[in-house]
Amino acid sequence: MSVRAAVTFGLCLWAGAAQAQTMRPFSTFRQLHGETRLTARVEYGAGTLRIEPGAPGELYRMNLSYDQDRFIPVSDFNASSRTAVLGLRAAGEGGVRVVSSNQLRQLATIAISPRADLTLDLSLGAVDADVELGGLRISDLELKTGASRATVRFSRPNGMRCRHAAFSAGAAEVSILGLGNSRCDEIEFEGGMGTVLLDFSGNWTSSAHVEVKMAVGEITLRLPRRVGVRLAMDKFLSSFEPAGLIRRGDAFVSSNYGRAERRLDLDLTTAMGEVNVEWVE
Amino acid sequence: MPVSRRVTGMVALVALLAGHPVHAETPSSRSGAAGLMNDLWTLVSDVSSRVGLQDRPSRPHPQAIPRGGPSIDLNDLSRPTVVEDRISSALQPGGNLRLTIPGGTAHRGDYSVGSAESLTGHLLVVDGNADVYGNLRGNLVTVRGDVVVHPGGVVSGDILTLGGQVRDLGGEIGGEVRTLQSAALSPAARAESEQLTPVQSVLRRLAGVLGVFLTLSVLGFGLVMFGRQNLEVVSDTVSHSFGRAFVTGLLGQILLLPTFGMLVVGLILSVAGILLLPFAIAVFALLVVVGVVGGYLAVAHAMGETYTRRRMALGVVIGSPNSYRYLLVGLMALASLWAAWALFGWVPVAGSIVWGAAFFLSWLLGTAGFGAALLSRAGIKENFSGRLFPPEALTDEYLWATPQFGVPAGRRPPTRTPSRGL
Repeated sequence: MSVRAAVTFGLCLWAGAAQAQTMRPFSTFRQLHGETRLTARVEYGAGTLRIEPGAPGELYRMNLSYDQDRFIPVSDFNASSRTAVLGLRAAGEGGVRVVSSNQLRQLATIAISPRADLTLDLSLGAVDADVELGGLRISDLELKTGASRATVRFSRPNGMRCRHAAFSAGAAEVSILGLGNSRCDEIEFEGGMGTVLLDFSGNWTSSAHVEVKMAVGEITLRLPRRVGVRLAMDKFLSSFEPAGLIRRGDAFVSSNYGRAERRLDLDLTTAMGEVNVEWVE
Repeated sequence: MPVSRRVTGMVALVALLAGHPVHAETPSSRSGAAGLMNDLWTLVSDVSSRVGLQDRPSRPHPQAIPRGGPSIDLNDLSRPTVVEDRISSALQPGGNLRLTIPGGTAHRGDYSVGSAESLTGHLLVVDGNADVYGNLRGNLVTVRGDVVVHPGGVVSGDILTLGGQVRDLGGEIGGEVRTLQSAALSPAARAESEQLTPVQSVLRRLAGVLGVFLTLSVLGFGLVMFGRQNLEVVSDTVSHSFGRAFVTGLLGQILLLPTFGMLVVGLILSVAGILLLPFAIAVFALLVVVGVVGGYLAVAHAMGETYTRRRMALGVVIGSPNSYRYLLVGLMALASLWAAWALFGWVPVAGSIVWGAAFFLSWLLGTAGFGAALLSRAGIKENFSGRLFPPEALTDEYLWATPQFGVPAGRRPPTRTPSRGL
């Protein structure tokens, strides 16, 4: 509850002007001209963000409504490196202003082509984010977020094998759902303070190694029963209930770990808080 | 002929008439149903775009903008707001419009690139639509107009519309398409931008002052009802030690944030205390609010009491000189400062001066009230309230007139011994 309050407080501190907030619509898109690779960098300071798979004929599209007094829209494409930079940057006016939550009206929807192999780099500030990555072709993923409330979903299997996914969050409430569909070999999560849900359900096609570091907060691991799970934990003042896991040496393992075709190796480091384990089919 | 038959006949006739040109333009390579649907869609889009044109305010006559004016570089459209600023400053009203587009041309009014045309260079279209049927090798920018890329049309560069839309009807756009609409005010901004007449603004401000006055009155009455003793002690502290209370209040304001910071850091460092952090923050905020509001009400009480006693000393009969009356009179005095601003705030210079005076006096009194609340520990200690006499100040006459022992002494309220310092 306090984390939710901290996130809300952070969102309020960061964003928008209390008076005379002028919202301006901006949209951009690029047709798909046979590109097979795309590096997409999304920078978004404050507001609500949605990311979703786009139309087949477009490389990307962004529709946003932004506060023109404090932010500048960014949309740039480097044809030689196939890199697109999308989002909002601060207009240079710094400082902290306390605003009511209804001032956080900046809204961006970014759609990315499901046909191009994607390296996705998201840098989010005080953002309420809903990121749907299911159906895209993600080869590398990086998400950095500040005081955010973020939900990342892999509702459908990733269109290709993903090498590495890294998530880092400050004071955040983060849910990453369907990580089994992400098809990532390496997953990292680094959190400062907050509530984190890591849901490993989905269609597992290979084994994965996951490293989780969390300073203060609550982590919930939602684990699929059919995958062999090994959990190595380094904790200081954290509580942990190893429901359904058996202690073997320094680690906890699921009963099917030895014979499972797909394995999930989890290294978890936490200083203070709570680690919960839930099982899903 | 029945009406339904007539309608059906007219629809069929229109369909035949409309169908003929559609078929005339249909490429032979397309499959029947899909091609027909595509052509129908193209026709509908084309018609709707022209209907949209008729709805718009009058367009200038299409003409080329002569070269020679300010230069607008359309090479880089990645920062649309920068391009917009550049164009806006160049399109200032008045005089003949002249623009220089390095490596390109500028046109006013509707402009189209024909299907057999191939245009090289950037294109700026002001106050008109840009219809691309042919080939444009360069960037395309429209101001207050749409870009329509028709089937077969090619724009090899970027497109930017400022106050318009981009309609891709099946053409090819090699670069990025950006659309920057005009600003839409949020409801809050719209409300602010509404111009109020002086009478409306006076009424609005008076309503605000009245609202604050009523709120403080309710709070004050509650305080008198449930914490009369504390309120009176803080009020007496303001009356008898105003300067000391003001200085204390000033120091309190300065030390407020450092104290809060130390509290938070201290709790974080003491690992167990981190759990108490939310409660500590809430309690700290509550204490500050109670100190400020309670102190302000105590100042109002002190002002009302002083005024009432002076009137009574002049022989005016006052029905019930109690704390409720003191508070009400004091709050009315304080509200009168802001009422003056509400009445004259719309006057250009005097309004600002009245506002400044009201703000300064309110801050001064609020600071003194806050300081008095701190000095008296929210009305618990009477050290600075002028109620206590040091033993050496007791004269023989006082001691003679005041029984120290026996029955009368037993009925006296217990005396409080002053403690030294704070």
